Amino acid sequence: MGFITGILYDSVYHAIPILLCVLGGIFAYKANVLNIALEGMMLAGAFVSVLVSFKTENVMLGYIAAVVTCLAIGLIFAFFGVSCKGNVIVIGLAVNMSIVAIAGFVLQLMNSANIKLGFTNAADFKIHIPIIKNIPILGGIISGHTIITYITFVSIVLVWILMYRTKFGIYVRVVGENEDSAKSLGLNTNKYRYLAILLGSFFCALAGINLALERMTIFTNSMTAGRGFIAIAAIYCGRGDPLSCTFYALIFGLARALSVNLSLYAGAAAAVFDVIPYVVMSIVLTVVSVIKYRNSRVRGM
Amino acid sequence: MSIIIETKKLTKKFGDFVANSKIDIQVEKQEIKCIVGENGAGKSTLMNMLYGVYKPTSGMILLNGKEIVMNSPTDAIRNGIGMVHQHFKLVPSLTVYENILLGSEITKRGLIDRREEITKVKKLIEQYQFQIDPMEKIQNISVGLCQQVEILKMLYRNVDILILDEPTAVLTPQEVDRLMENLKALKKQGKTIIVITHKLREVMYVSDSVTVIKSGQVIGNVKTKDTNETELAQMMVGRDVVLTVRNESGPKPREEEAYRVEGICTVNDSNHEILHNVSLYVKKGEVLGIAGVEGNGQSELIKVLTGVMTVTKGKVLLGGKDMTNAWPDKLRKFGIGIIPEDRYAQGLCKEMTIPENCIAGYFDTHGVCNKGVLKSGKMKQLCDDYIQKYDIRVSDQYGVISQLSGGNAQKVIIAREFENNPDLIIACQPTRGVDIGSIEFIHRQLLALRNAGKAVLLISSELTEIMSLSDRIVVMYKGGIIGEVDPQAASAEEIGLLMAGAGAKGGN
Amino acid sequence: MTKKKSDYIGPKVLNTLLPVGLAFLIGGIIILCIGENPLEAYRIMLGKSLFTAKGFLNTLHYASPLLLTGLAIAITFKANLFNMGVEGQLLVGGFFAGIAGASLDLTSPVMQKVVCMLVGIGCGVLFALIPALLRAFFHVDEMVVTLMLNYAMIKVLEYLSSGPFREAGSGYVCTPVIHESAMFQRLGIGNSRLTMFFFLAFAILLIMTFIFKKTKLGMEITAIGKNPDFAEATGMRVRRKIIILMCISGALAGLAGAGHMMSEKFKYTLGFSGTTGLGWDGMLIALLGRHNPIGVLLAAIFYSALKTGADNINMYTSVPKEIVGVLQGLIILFLAVQFLDERFGLRERFARRMSRKEEA
Repeated sequence: MGFITGILYDSVYHAIPILLCVLGGIFAYKANVLNIALEGMMLAGAFVSVLVSFKTENVMLGYIAAVVTCLAIGLIFAFFGVSCKGNVIVIGLAVNMSIVAIAGFVLQLMNSANIKLGFTNAADFKIHIPIIKNIPILGGIISGHTIITYITFVSIVLVWILMYRTKFGIYVRVVGENEDSAKSLGLNTNKYRYLAILLGSFFCALAGINLALERMTIFTNSMTAGRGFIAIAAIYCGRGDPLSCTFYALIFGLARALSVNLSLYAGAAAAVFDVIPYVVMSIVLTVVSVIKYRNSRVRGM
Repeated sequence: MSIIIETKKLTKKFGDFVANSKIDIQVEKQEIKCIVGENGAGKSTLMNMLYGVYKPTSGMILLNGKEIVMNSPTDAIRNGIGMVHQHFKLVPSLTVYENILLGSEITKRGLIDRREEITKVKKLIEQYQFQIDPMEKIQNISVGLCQQVEILKMLYRNVDILILDEPTAVLTPQEVDRLMENLKALKKQGKTIIVITHKLREVMYVSDSVTVIKSGQVIGNVKTKDTNETELAQMMVGRDVVLTVRNESGPKPREEEAYRVEGICTVNDSNHEILHNVSLYVKKGEVLGIAGVEGNGQSELIKVLTGVMTVTKGKVLLGGKDMTNAWPDKLRKFGIGIIPEDRYAQGLCKEMTIPENCIAGYFDTHGVCNKGVLKSGKMKQLCDDYIQKYDIRVSDQYGVISQLSGGNAQKVIIAREFENNPDLIIACQPTRGVDIGSIEFIHRQLLALRNAGKAVLLISSELTEIMSLSDRIVVMYKGGIIGEVDPQAASAEEIGLLMAGAGAKGGN
Repeated sequence: MTKKKSDYIGPKVLNTLLPVGLAFLIGGIIILCIGENPLEAYRIMLGKSLFTAKGFLNTLHYASPLLLTGLAIAITFKANLFNMGVEGQLLVGGFFAGIAGASLDLTSPVMQKVVCMLVGIGCGVLFALIPALLRAFFHVDEMVVTLMLNYAMIKVLEYLSSGPFREAGSGYVCTPVIHESAMFQRLGIGNSRLTMFFFLAFAILLIMTFIFKKTKLGMEITAIGKNPDFAEATGMRVRRKIIILMCISGALAGLAGAGHMMSEKFKYTLGFSGTTGLGWDGMLIALLGRHNPIGVLLAAIFYSALKTGADNINMYTSVPKEIVGVLQGLIILFLAVQFLDERFGLRERFARRMSRKEEA
């Protein structure tokens, strides 16, 4: 029983950064901006949150600095991609590469391979919900996560409302689906693209904070390990719908939890289990695509 | 009657190109005004200026006698001017009511008040006696209903002047009739309507007055009751539009069958059958015309016959050889020439050069390609030949296709497909968006091919084209063949009835 | 409409140089911030690697794999495919070429080299085939799949090199050193590291130039990139071409890995492809070279000079060599934008790509 509870707890644990990226990414997806800079923004969030906390010994400042930095990166991305109409795939990759390089640059200046916080540790961030934590099984799964984990679950609902029940959500979708229509209504299409991208940056900042500061109180370069790309795969699978995308993000969490837990028993081959999440997401992506095109009789790309 | 909107010396230039030159028009309150002219005459530019999309280069627009300056469609709507575009600006994944209210959503505490929105839209639909379900998603409703949504969108915003750009281009005859009735009803409710069209029959039926535009200039203003179709047509093109090429004097079709399609069916992405048991045959030395209102399965049939879509059932035979689901390169190899429906989508690559486009699909003939290596000298020579033989007007003979006008671009396709000795030509909308001179040329080429004993399958939404070129005509309706007629014996009205689905038999 | 080709070269060159200049400007500001002299830093970085004979030849040596990865990405970009898996394909190609080089012992050194390279190419192709088949038959977005499979491949190779194929005597994770017969020997020109591999890569560049400009396949690649509907309708068999292109791309990446193994590394380590990764460098090179073979050559040399120069910068100043990664990111960022209007830029192509996504 403990094993299963462990896996489910871990599933939630591993799904959160992806889930946050997904929640942030769906607005850009719906606005027809393919934001593959999610990966880099998450890394920036992780880096800045730990760096600032390390320098100031104040975790709150770390949170704020990470959010501000990611919003700034989002602005740069939006400026090049939306205002200058550059190729957003290329810009996204450039952002990803730049951030790895900048983090590496700073680490090198600090003469260190990672940044580790000394004044606090991961256990300090865990919130044990009274009452619930005592419920068998459920308590073991739900309780004992970090603040951002709980914010994430609330955000799923908020994002759904924002997407389907507000003007903003409708306009973002209009901008993505039929730009002409948006323009004929006199909407400032660029404004909605900017906002969609910035929302993504905000959530990526949270993802980064969760990944580095809250869970491990440590930053190592490239620690995001493609989670941003997996989030994009989840968004593709769920076609930008908050609930279905959440579902696919959880699948990733489960795959990751399985790989971590199983590798404990695997000995030398443990590293191979790390492959599971990537392979699982590729298969899911394929299955979704096969279902979508199962009736298509048109040849070509 | 008072004049509600007028333009004075309205001019629009795009670079050196003058799209509209000193246009003066007056529209009276509560009338239906038709603006007619050929493709490219400048009608759309004019309307886009009235709707604030383009800014005039010079001249002015007067609304109720006062000059107005509009910087965007929003300004136009604020001034009571609304427009329904030829290509709808609807969002497919949203519902009818969401589309109508797009941009003026009703909110309560920041969230959208759906109940209130639906009630309002229902009221609106009732007020103007439209028949449409506000809860349906746009992606699930017909083109005619989409147009109603567009009109309702404008009415919700209380416009007094409604501009419709080519409203009937994509409608079935019944939908056209309903639209005409709707427009007359709107007029009675006090709206002024401006319709851009080139379909003269509709002009005569619905309008009060007509303005004819040619090459960006006003050619004439007339009251509808004082004119007739022939007169308008002459004004539009500046010469008799009687199609000069007719399929009359050539030899009779041979008895030998060149091409046969047997009971083909296919489905769309959501697994609905969109072609039902389509069967037809073409004899050598014969032109078979496929008539029908656009959107009745012709596009899918074309896709299947040209190898870009596969069938679920049925067979295609070329001179007895099985061509079912053959890829486009195999079709060409076995002697099927293809003039595709949309020349810049499937026929040509705008950004590639004329010589490259001249050999696309035919790498194995004329010695242009040896073991995968292109011979640029041969390509240029072939390109020169085509340009000369087909009278293609170019400014840079080895430059990119995008320099060519519609008619000349089409001639590149014709040259390419005709010069590879086809046994069958599948000609889809061969003269769409092509100038009159080229139309005549293309028609002559098609008939010459027929007279040389080749088979021609002509698919066109221009009924006159089908009637003047075909030996036999089949009519498509809702994805099936609804009947066959003899163009010598049948009148346009009879074919029109079939196109509207009347007397459905045999089909589905 | 009658403009000649030459009218477009001006803006093209400027659009290429401007991003580089801007990136260096911002990089300079960063260097200033850490209290170093940017001009001095750049002089150290580029001076030796471009303007001394030995330095330049070494630059050519390090440019060899970059030429191939640049081409690998350029060929797919041209067809509007996004093979982001070049890095993974390079790693797997390099790894197994290394294993083959260490475990096989053929009598003929030429054969030994050929077999090693073929192994590298084969592995690159096989790994590229996965996203290619998924894309061609199931419309799965090749970009997302390749991005994810890169990570999967890194993990797999990490396991293989630290487990089954680990060199027992070594103090850190690496595979056995390849036999000498599998190594490209230094040619000894000007005392540089230059090997035959550079000339091999250069020959492949020439072949690819020929394919791009003079063959049916080259024309088909262009057509697929510019108008896939047209390509399909005129019988170019887009699906089949996607697979072929991805395979060529994978082969080039695999060969780049094999060559890097056989001319420089001689064993697989976890840092086999360097800090930014030779595959990712290829992306910069393809963009900077504007998907054009000559451009790719110049871009590869320039970027290689930058990278080799970075090692010098560490020696003479306190500027971390990661500055090159920063410059790289910035150059790509600025390259994504068209500063001046050009015909048929990425912009339209991208617009089309997005509209295709939309339809789907």
